[in-house]
Amino acid sequence: MQEKLKTIIVEDEELARNLLKSFLKDVENIEVVAECENGFEGVKMINELKPDLVFLDIQMPKITGFEMLELLDHKPHIIFATAYDQYAIKAFEYNAADYLLKPYSRERLKEAIGKVAERIENEGSVSDVAEKVSEYPKGEYLDRIVVKDRHKINIIPASDVRYIESMDDYVMIYTQNGRHMKQQTMKYFESALDPQNFIRIHRSYIVKVDEINEIQQYEKESYIVILHDKTKLKVSKSGYKNLKDILNF
Amino acid sequence: MNFKHPFLSKPRLVIYYLLFWIATGIATVLLKWYSFNVEPGTAAVEFFALPFLFAIVGTSIWYVIKFSTLENNSVPRVILSHFIAATIIVLVWLYIGVVFIKLLHPESSVYIDNRIPINIFMGYAFYVIYVLFFYAVNYYEGFKEKLRNEGKLKGLVKEAELHALKSQINPHFLFNSLNSISSLTMADPVKAQEMVINLSNLMRYSLKHDQVEKVPFREELKNNKLYMQIEKVRFGKKLNPVFEVDEACLDVEIPNMILQPLYENAIKYGVYEATEPIDIVTRCKMKDNMLEVVIQNNYDPEALSKRGEGIGLRNIRDRLQIIYNNPLLMKVEDNKTDFKVTLAIPQKN
Repeated sequence: MQEKLKTIIVEDEELARNLLKSFLKDVENIEVVAECENGFEGVKMINELKPDLVFLDIQMPKITGFEMLELLDHKPHIIFATAYDQYAIKAFEYNAADYLLKPYSRERLKEAIGKVAERIENEGSVSDVAEKVSEYPKGEYLDRIVVKDRHKINIIPASDVRYIESMDDYVMIYTQNGRHMKQQTMKYFESALDPQNFIRIHRSYIVKVDEINEIQQYEKESYIVILHDKTKLKVSKSGYKNLKDILNF
Repeated sequence: MNFKHPFLSKPRLVIYYLLFWIATGIATVLLKWYSFNVEPGTAAVEFFALPFLFAIVGTSIWYVIKFSTLENNSVPRVILSHFIAATIIVLVWLYIGVVFIKLLHPESSVYIDNRIPINIFMGYAFYVIYVLFFYAVNYYEGFKEKLRNEGKLKGLVKEAELHALKSQINPHFLFNSLNSISSLTMADPVKAQEMVINLSNLMRYSLKHDQVEKVPFREELKNNKLYMQIEKVRFGKKLNPVFEVDEACLDVEIPNMILQPLYENAIKYGVYEATEPIDIVTRCKMKDNMLEVVIQNNYDPEALSKRGEGIGLRNIRDRLQIIYNNPLLMKVEDNKTDFKVTLAIPQKN
């Protein structure tokens, strides 16, 4: 007999958790090891218990299911369970195993678990979730960024971001109150932040327009941006063109 | 109220008015010429100096009727103010008229001596005709304005109904409620049944209220309690609705569907975003012949949701403005931990 899948439920409504639990009771290869009422608890328990499978709601207090996924060190298989159908595409971009629409039937749930079992058989290991997400859907922009510093989760309004610097696999996000590291790509932020407010000025920098105090030439065909707090950032050739386009000079 | 003179807001009226007086003038001159053998030039001066001058001075009577409307003043007061205004206007008119006659008329003194009493009488008679004419214009404009407002109100009521229906078929509410029912069918079938009935009653209420502008507060309150009950089943201890309603409020009238957006906002911005219990407190009392409804909820100040005056609040404000002609009946306060909306619904005596 196969090993049981360690499972965590992240869902803010008690009745919805109860329903899922009672459905799962009859599934023999599932063992529910924890239930979480919101994304903060979810991050903590998933990183601690390292489950194989997580049932995840999307609209929850504090942070959404998607934001929670970005904060995980351990990457389990994900089955989304939500009342909305409009997040399905995004869910599969996050490499979700399945997407259950509430209210769902026992059979539909079993089918979803079947997909997870299949994945585990085929891959053996869980693929990296966050890396798949490199571009943000067009037409809407990020209004907040969720970061984890040691054991504290911070929600930063996008408008508080001063600039972002790339650091290998991570980015450093500078705000008025400090800086935060996040595992994400520059390309993601370039498409996720409103291009009217944030400009990619260099391979390594995205800067908020309002933070720019001065653009200075320091060598022939080479520029730097000086921010209000005197921070100097390099500008590349294509970055200079981006600046010109947005600021109209 | 609109004090603007109809001649200013509708220049076309001025042209008709002038044409009318010029035609009358030509007819008068011709008549005097043929019948009484008066020189056309003299007849024209006579017409210009007195009747036509009244046509100009008389336009100011509009402001008199606007300041002493029949709706807001007692009849003796209106008559008195018209009598005073008429005397002033007639005196001014006659004085200027006499000056013109003296300057232009070949036999001015004879003409004036014969005509003063009859012209005073004519002045008052003209005044009465003008007052009736302007009251008619005023009444007609008010009537048109009312029609316009009724149309606008119908649109807003439709919008409110549509909003209520939309929020009930919005996936967060509908499918999550159905999911709760799905859960309860196994754990607590009696409660599941209760929830199905509540959900049906709520939707029936939104569907049936077609074109009814006002409903008893009792009904509106019952409907919103139903809505809170359904959400309470979903959110459990996280949602704590409190109702403090004076008995005296229950039978007064309130525009329909006007409260639901407020509860919806309290749940959306309060309960959805919170991990701690949220109190949604409703206080209703009668105050100076007004129904005062206060709906207040605490919320998590760290929850970063954008919050402007959404379609729900705007619709309420517009409807109160049109129905009661007062933009100050809704008050919104937000002190970063509590959100509070106060409505004052005027009642008839």
